[in-house]
Amino acid sequence: MSFYADFCIPFIAGATVMFAAIALKYVTWLKRLPKSDLMLIAKGIPTPRTAGAVWEIFRESLLHRRIFRVNPLLGYMHMSLAFGWFLLIVVGWTETVAYLGMRWVPLQGHVFFKYFMPMNGIEGHKPFFDFVMDLLLLFVLSGVALAWFKRFRSRSMGMKRTTKHVLFDRVALTALWFVFPARLVAESITCGLYGGGSFLTGGIGAGLAAAVPPEALAMAYEPAWWFYSCALGVFFVAMPFSRYMHIFTEIPLIFLRHYSLRPEAKEKSYDNFEIQACSRCGICIDPCQLQSQLGINDVQSVYFLRDRRYAMLQQKIANNCLMCGRCEAVCPVGINLNTLRLNSRSTMRNIPNERRYNYLAGLDRSQGEGRVGYFAGCMTLLTPKTLAAMQRIFEAAREDVWWADKDGGVCCGRPLKLSGEVDSAQKMIDYNKELFRRHGITTLVTSCPICLRVFREEYGLQGVEVLHHSEYILRLMHRGRLSVKYSAATFTYHDPCELGRGSGIYDEPRAVIEAVGHLTEPAHTREDALCCGSSVANTAINDAQQLRIAEGVAQELDATDAETVVTACPLCKKAIMRGTARRVADLSEIVAENLGR
Amino acid sequence: MKHVIVIGGGIAGMQCAAELARGGIRVTVLEKQSDTGGKLRNWHKLFPSLTPAGEVLGGLNHTLRRLPNIDVRTECEAAELSPRRVVLATGEELECDAVVVATGFTLFDARIKEEYGYGIYDNVITSADLEEMFNTGKVSTTSGAAPRRIAFLHCVGSRDEKVCQRHCSKVCCVTGVKQAMEMKELFPAADVFNFYMDIRMFGPGYEEMYREAQQRCNIHFVRGRISEVSPTIDGRLQIKAEDTLTGRPLKIGVDMLVLLIGMRANDMNAVLEQRCGLERQTSGFMRPRDQFLHNTESNVAGIFYAGAVTAPKSVGESLNEGTAAARGVIEYLAAKECTDNSTIDE
Repeated sequence: MSFYADFCIPFIAGATVMFAAIALKYVTWLKRLPKSDLMLIAKGIPTPRTAGAVWEIFRESLLHRRIFRVNPLLGYMHMSLAFGWFLLIVVGWTETVAYLGMRWVPLQGHVFFKYFMPMNGIEGHKPFFDFVMDLLLLFVLSGVALAWFKRFRSRSMGMKRTTKHVLFDRVALTALWFVFPARLVAESITCGLYGGGSFLTGGIGAGLAAAVPPEALAMAYEPAWWFYSCALGVFFVAMPFSRYMHIFTEIPLIFLRHYSLRPEAKEKSYDNFEIQACSRCGICIDPCQLQSQLGINDVQSVYFLRDRRYAMLQQKIANNCLMCGRCEAVCPVGINLNTLRLNSRSTMRNIPNERRYNYLAGLDRSQGEGRVGYFAGCMTLLTPKTLAAMQRIFEAAREDVWWADKDGGVCCGRPLKLSGEVDSAQKMIDYNKELFRRHGITTLVTSCPICLRVFREEYGLQGVEVLHHSEYILRLMHRGRLSVKYSAATFTYHDPCELGRGSGIYDEPRAVIEAVGHLTEPAHTREDALCCGSSVANTAINDAQQLRIAEGVAQELDATDAETVVTACPLCKKAIMRGTARRVADLSEIVAENLGR
Repeated sequence: MKHVIVIGGGIAGMQCAAELARGGIRVTVLEKQSDTGGKLRNWHKLFPSLTPAGEVLGGLNHTLRRLPNIDVRTECEAAELSPRRVVLATGEELECDAVVVATGFTLFDARIKEEYGYGIYDNVITSADLEEMFNTGKVSTTSGAAPRRIAFLHCVGSRDEKVCQRHCSKVCCVTGVKQAMEMKELFPAADVFNFYMDIRMFGPGYEEMYREAQQRCNIHFVRGRISEVSPTIDGRLQIKAEDTLTGRPLKIGVDMLVLLIGMRANDMNAVLEQRCGLERQTSGFMRPRDQFLHNTESNVAGIFYAGAVTAPKSVGESLNEGTAAARGVIEYLAAKECTDNSTIDE
């Protein structure tokens, strides 16, 4: 058997283009990886991490477990298409082996097996495979049906908004929609003419044979297979240039991630794996407050990644993001959306001014002496109630404190980092690191989550424990160095993005609040908390827009009817104050007001 | 006899009530506080003539008491109103033939600008606090000493998007100049600084006063807002600002910081909009029917405005509006009587 027919040409051509394009991409990306990344891969391969990656690929690339968590129906849709198609290929291959034994069969021989092996009067017909293949086709078709359904009623699948697609995506999507119905038609006609097939293709085939004259069926036979082959061919050609590149990119990405490769402050080749692993599912659109509160709908992560991938990224898109991390938290592929956006910003905006930081030399305005250092940060200096409260808390705990910046200091560097000015930020980081080292502190406390994050992630302060004031206060309470009075006062708590999703600190501030009064939670809370809108990361929206986001957040906090809104970030505090008439206080204020004894 | 209710016993309301009574109308003035006079009760002297506020207030009170048919109800708050009826917070209902809303404004709460440290640090006070100090005659730092260096900060709660107050409060510029001069008078040895964005001297005599402050009193005017304030170990205040004319950051220690707080719209204005069908401007102040020919009328016939309820205004302007609103009410009532009579005739 030659396993060749003319209708296979579109398929063969398409598959060739696709595999060539993918291979070219893989080779280029891997070749451009920095040496350190290549070392990580080499070290990682012979370890259990490889097995871990395979297991994750099964879970995420095939079963799409994370999408199930967003919405079960949406998860089923992705699973039926991915896992169903995968099984069709595997079982199809097994079927050819079962019929023909272990021998070389060209790709189209597997894919169009029904065409090359019609079942009429065949020796050793194996109805089991007919049944399984029909079942799997039905499984995939149910996913396609859901995909159509999602076009019209995305809401019922847990998505208020879906992605607006580019041309390549539309071509690939349309082709993909036709692939499986075309297969169903082609196989059913074949079964109608030559028998075979199970409940689905066999059943429809029998129906066709009964309803349509055999000549007509025979006339439709070749065109049906042509159509199926064309649908596959078109999809394959469009695939490497469309969102469907994610199918093959996610697999190496998972391996690389298991070998500890990560995107960094500056762009690098690894980013390609993350960027092209985006399936543009659009799950990131709904959680974005720029969309839900302000109606801005062209800046979300899906569009950012798309624009960066096609090299048409503009600053106004890259800069228009709060970096709240709400999208990152739900991304089913686990792409480091914030880091990628930051390194894009860095590429576009990193223009260090060498002379601007000359004033740093020899500067030291710190006060006091102690093993514990306190870094207020610019925003705490603008909300001095927090500073005064921290002072009272330190006094109550009899802590000797070295005040790093009470009289003004140098910025922690994160705001500059967030705007892409990585090199300038580094000058400040170096300055502060040296300052901390010189004063010999062992603990660094800050009341600003923005500072906290950069201290923890970028400073590399060996021998210095970095604590947010919520952690520090709770520790003082646990060790009996600070006692507070419990009252009937009611509080609600707003999770700052940089503290919650950014640093994983959710429980400590809550434990502190519960020690002084009753805590009620707003509708969106913890990992799902809303952003106050005043993020220093967004340099694109204006003040009125920031206010609208703040009002949305304040509304939810007001709905709890708590007397006081508590937060643990000076920026959030300032933002929320603008949206509510209720009292808004920093965590330290309510502690200082309720000190016992 | 026709009956008109004036809501608010501040200067605009008092002037309006007097004018109405002179026109033979029975007037009820509803005042939230224990006495009439509104914000002027706590003010010391008025710009630019330095007339004592008590003089103006005394005159108004005297007129009010002298005229017949004026009933002043203090500690009395209106909850809802229509042209023919006012419902009080207690639930009591008052019938009338027209209503004048003269509820004025609310002073901006300086604690919202936390970076200036009002309510946190000693010796950070507001312009209203300073007037009270003038009134009591005890002007000093918290420790009782005479201030050697005093800073005034303009536009606190005015022209500030960050606190949702975009409008100009109009009178604070000249108040800052006036208070700076008064402080210089009290403490001739002290350095007095005014930090401003723009100095808007719109009224008669204001510009002359500003010039005098610079030339005769040697008061320093620095164009730039203060960014933050912090206490120093020796009990003073350290101010960080930028002199935007020289483009230099600036850091000075002062003994006293006076925040020139602006006027903001009353919270009650939102209630007037929602429950009484009146229109508000984006600033939160009430919107007159038009800015030129019907400046003291609301969008509802029979409801009038007088004074700072529609925008920040000076004392003189508020008094004028009291008179103008009263004239409007009298015309409205006369016109209504005409149409009512002609309806009966038919």
